[in-house]
Amino acid sequence: MKNIHASGHVRGQSVFLDDLPVHEGTLYAAVFGSPVAHGRITGADLERARALPGVVAVFSHEDIPGKNQIGGNIRDEPLLAERELHYIGQPVFLIVAEDEWTARRARLLAGLQYEALPAITDVEEAWGREQFLFPPRTFRLGSVDEAWEHCVYHFEGEAETGAQEHLYLEPQASYAFPAPHGGMKICSSAQGPAEVQHVAARVLGLPVHRIEVEATQLGGAFGGKEGQATAWACLAALAAWRLQRPVKLVLPRQDDMRMTGKRLPCRARFRIGLSRALKILTYEATFLLDGGAAAGLSPGILERALFHATNSYYIPNVRATAFCCRTNLPPNTAFRGFGAPQAMFALEAAIARAAYELGIPARRIQEANLLKEGDEFPYGQRARQAHARQCWARAEADFDIRKKEKEVEAFNHQNASTKKGLAMMPVCFGISFTKTSMNQASALLHIYQDGSVGLSSGAVEMGQGVSTKLAQLAAMALGVQAERIRVETTDTARVANSSPTAASSGADLNGKAVQHACAQLRRRLLETAASILRAPLAEVDLHAEQVWRNGRPTALSWEKLAPEALQRRVNLSAQGYYATPLICFDREKEKGHPFAYYVYGTAAVTMAVDCIRGTYATEEVCIIHDFGDSLNPDIDQGQVEGGVVQGIGWMTSEEVGCSPDGRLLADSLSTYKIPDIYAAPDVIDCRPLGAEGPGMAALRSKAVGEPPLMYGIAAYFALIQAIRAFNPHYRPGFRAPMTPEKVLMALYQDENAAAL
Amino acid sequence: MKNPSEEQSSMQEKKGVSRRAFLRGAGLTTAGTVALSAGLLSFKLEDAKAPPAILGPGEAEVRFVVNGQARTIWVEPRTTLAEALREHLSLTGAKVVCDRGSCSACTVWVDGKPVNSCITLAVDVSGREVTTIEGLAQGDELHPVQEAFIEHDASMCGFCTPGMVMSCAALLKRNPNPGLEDVKLATSGNLCRCGTYPKVFEATLAAAKKMKK
Repeated sequence: MKNIHASGHVRGQSVFLDDLPVHEGTLYAAVFGSPVAHGRITGADLERARALPGVVAVFSHEDIPGKNQIGGNIRDEPLLAERELHYIGQPVFLIVAEDEWTARRARLLAGLQYEALPAITDVEEAWGREQFLFPPRTFRLGSVDEAWEHCVYHFEGEAETGAQEHLYLEPQASYAFPAPHGGMKICSSAQGPAEVQHVAARVLGLPVHRIEVEATQLGGAFGGKEGQATAWACLAALAAWRLQRPVKLVLPRQDDMRMTGKRLPCRARFRIGLSRALKILTYEATFLLDGGAAAGLSPGILERALFHATNSYYIPNVRATAFCCRTNLPPNTAFRGFGAPQAMFALEAAIARAAYELGIPARRIQEANLLKEGDEFPYGQRARQAHARQCWARAEADFDIRKKEKEVEAFNHQNASTKKGLAMMPVCFGISFTKTSMNQASALLHIYQDGSVGLSSGAVEMGQGVSTKLAQLAAMALGVQAERIRVETTDTARVANSSPTAASSGADLNGKAVQHACAQLRRRLLETAASILRAPLAEVDLHAEQVWRNGRPTALSWEKLAPEALQRRVNLSAQGYYATPLICFDREKEKGHPFAYYVYGTAAVTMAVDCIRGTYATEEVCIIHDFGDSLNPDIDQGQVEGGVVQGIGWMTSEEVGCSPDGRLLADSLSTYKIPDIYAAPDVIDCRPLGAEGPGMAALRSKAVGEPPLMYGIAAYFALIQAIRAFNPHYRPGFRAPMTPEKVLMALYQDENAAAL
Repeated sequence: MKNPSEEQSSMQEKKGVSRRAFLRGAGLTTAGTVALSAGLLSFKLEDAKAPPAILGPGEAEVRFVVNGQARTIWVEPRTTLAEALREHLSLTGAKVVCDRGSCSACTVWVDGKPVNSCITLAVDVSGREVTTIEGLAQGDELHPVQEAFIEHDASMCGFCTPGMVMSCAALLKRNPNPGLEDVKLATSGNLCRCGTYPKVFEATLAAAKKMKK
C-alpha cells in the first residue's frame, strides 16, 4: 500500500504547522537568545524593543505563571534564563508582535547586560573538571582484567564522533491559542505531544487537562522534535496565555540551528584483546558524551550507548562506562540511533585498529565474533532469533563480497589517483524504549454510521509512514479497505498520556493498541451480524467489506452492518491499549531484559576517493536487512535508504564545529552539509533477510526507523581503506566525520604525523 | 524630539536616497549591469537604459499571473515571492526551509523556469507568470511527475516534495529524454533529509518514459 500522505505531498496540499490557517488577531513571536556561552545576567534593556511600533509584549522569566522549568526527569532546564546563561542561543526573552518581521526587528533592539564567565566547550575539559549532568554508569560482563591476561593480541586507542544537526526540513514550530472554557490549545511540531502538554501545564501552572496539544504531521524530526519541541510550544503558550490571543512561533532556520541541540558528540577510549583465533575476549570502553548545557534526553541516550556497546558481537568480558559531560553548548539530544551509533563506531574503530596492526581485513575479526543464538549481552538479556550470522552470510553470498574485494584491489592496482575502499558493518539494535514504563500506547477508533472509520493514536507522522501502517493494520483487523480508515492527527484530548513517537517503536506500540481496539469492534460487529443473520457466531466472518457465513458472502455488507449496529445500540467506538510484555530492567544491577526483540542486518559500503582533490563518492551500498514480515515493504525500504544516507552524512560531510567561545560554526544550510543528490549512493541494494518476524512486533513486521542509520558507519571505514591504499603512512585517528578536507590531509600525511 | 514614526519615516527616506544612487550608478556602469543581471531574473539590457522604478517606503503593487489566474497583491518591497505566495495568497505548497537559496524546497516556476522563491523578490515577478505546486495538476489530473512520485514512493515527510516535484517537472519540460545525470543536475539544489533521492531518480525517469508514450 502506498503512503497515505503521498497524494497531499505531491500536490503541495499536506498541512504542516506553518501551513495551518491562522486565526484572526494572531501574533508572532521571536526568541531572544543568550549572546554568550556562559555568563551571569546583570541587567536588561527592553524599552527600545517594546517601543517599536507593532510590538505587543516582551516576556521574561518573571512572566511565567507556573514553574520556569522544562526539564524531563532531571529538572535542570529553565524555559527562560533567570540569572545565569549557559549557552549561546539559550532563550532569555520572548518578543511578541503583530507580525513576524517586527518581532525579529525588535529582537535586535533588545539589550542584555551580563558578566561573562569562563565557558567549557570541550568534552575532555568537562570530564577533567567532573562536570557531569548526572552520574556515570557502567555495564559489566565477565572479568575484563583477568581476560586481558589471556589475550594474545592487545590494542588500545581512541575514537571520536561529532555532533549531527537534525536538519528536519520543517523547523521547530508551535501555534498556541486560548481555547473555550479556560483552556489552551497548542499545535506543535512535536514527536511527543503528551510531553509538551505535561510541561506546558507545569509552565502555565494549570492542570494538564486544560492544555490540549495537537501534532498534524511533521516535516521530518529524527529525534530532534522529541525533547526539543517543548520549549517553543511552551513559549508560544506563555505568550498566548498572558495576552489571551493566538501566538505563533516558527523558528527561522538559523535560530533553529543555533538554539537546538544535536546528536551528542562522543569521545571514546577503548582497550580490546583478542585470541589467536581472532575472538574478541575482552573489550573495555569509556565514553565521554557531550550532553551540552542540560540533561534533556541524555540519560536515555547514555544508556542506549551502553546497551549497544558490543553491537552485533558476542564478547564474553566487557566493561563499558559512560559519562555525560556538561558543556556550554545547546543541550544535545536524541537523534536516530540514540547513542548506539556513537558506541558502535567506537567498537568498529577498535576492530579496525586491531586489523591494521595485524595486517588482516577487519572483516575477519567482525565475522569471527558475530552473535549467535543464546549469547548474553553485557546487560543480561540473551540473543533470541539472533540473525547476525545469517545476515552476514547472506550479504557475503548475495553480493559476492570476496569478488567485490578483489575488484577493489584490482582497481586500486590499476589506478594511481583514484582509490576505492570497501567496508562491512553488521548491526544489532534493540527495540523498545529502554525506560520500561514508556513502552505503552493507546488508540481510539470510531466507526461512523456510514461505515467510515476514524483512527487516533499516540503516533506522530513525521515521514516514517506510521499512519499508513496503522491504517493497514486497522483495515486488516476490521476486514475493510484501507481507504475507509482516516488516520487523525495526534491530539492529547483524544489519546492521552502517550509516549513520544521515538525509539523506532511507533508502529509496534501504537499498532498493537490499534489491533486491540479493532479486536473489540470486530467482536461486537460479528455478534451483531450473527444476530441479524440468526446464525451461530462461529459461522460468521467479516472480511473484504462483507459479512460471510460458512465461507460464503451474505447480503450484509460493511456499509449496511455499521448503521444496523448503531440502530441496535452497539458501541461503535473502542479504545485499545498495549503494554509490551516481559520487558524489565534493573538499574541498580544494570541487568535485565529491556528489549522486546532485536533488528539485525549487514551492510557493505564501497567508497571511491579522488586522491588529487580529497573528494569522494559512495559508489555502492549493499544491505541485507532483517525486516521480519514487513507490513509495508515500500515504506520499510525507504526507511533503510534514508537511514543509511543519514548515517553516511554523519560519517562524512556533516560537521557542526564550534569556536572556543561556544559559537556553532555551521548554523545554516549553506555551511552545514547534509548529503545532497550527488552525495547519495548511486546504488542502494537492500534485500530482506526473509526470516520470520517476532510476535512482539505488530504482525511480525519489525521496527525499522533507527537501525539502518548505523550501516552508514561503514562509509568511514571504507574511506580509511581507500586512503590507506594511496598512502600507506596514513594513521587513522578514528575521528568522524571524515570531511573531504580531512581526507585530503590524510592522503598526504607523512609517517611522523599525528593520527588523523 | 521626533516621535518614533517620524524618525522611522526619515530613516526610510534616507535609505531610499542611497538606494536610488546605487541603482543609478549600477545602470551607468557596464560591469555593474552585467554583475547585477546575473542575480536577477531574465534581466534585459534595454531595461537598464531607463532608471528602475523606485519602490517603497510602504507597500508596492505586484500584478502577476499565478497558476493561470491574474492576481494583484500589495506587499512591502522586501517581501519575497515565497512569503507573497504563502502569506498573501495562501499557497502554502512551497516551503521555506533555509531562506537563503540553499535547499530549493521553495521552488516555483517563473515564466516556466524553476526559481528559488525564497530569494526572489515578489516585486521582481510583476508582470510574470508564476506556477506553484498547487497549479501543476490539471484539476484532478496529476502531472506525470506527481503520479510517478506517488507510484515510486519518492516522498517521505513531504517537506521537500513540492520543490523536488517542481524541479523534476521543469526538467522534463526542457528535456523529454533525461538520463540519470540530467535528473541529478536538475535536482542538485534540492535537499531531502529523509533520503528519498534514489526514489526521486526512479520516479522522474519513469515519468519521462510515460510522457513520451
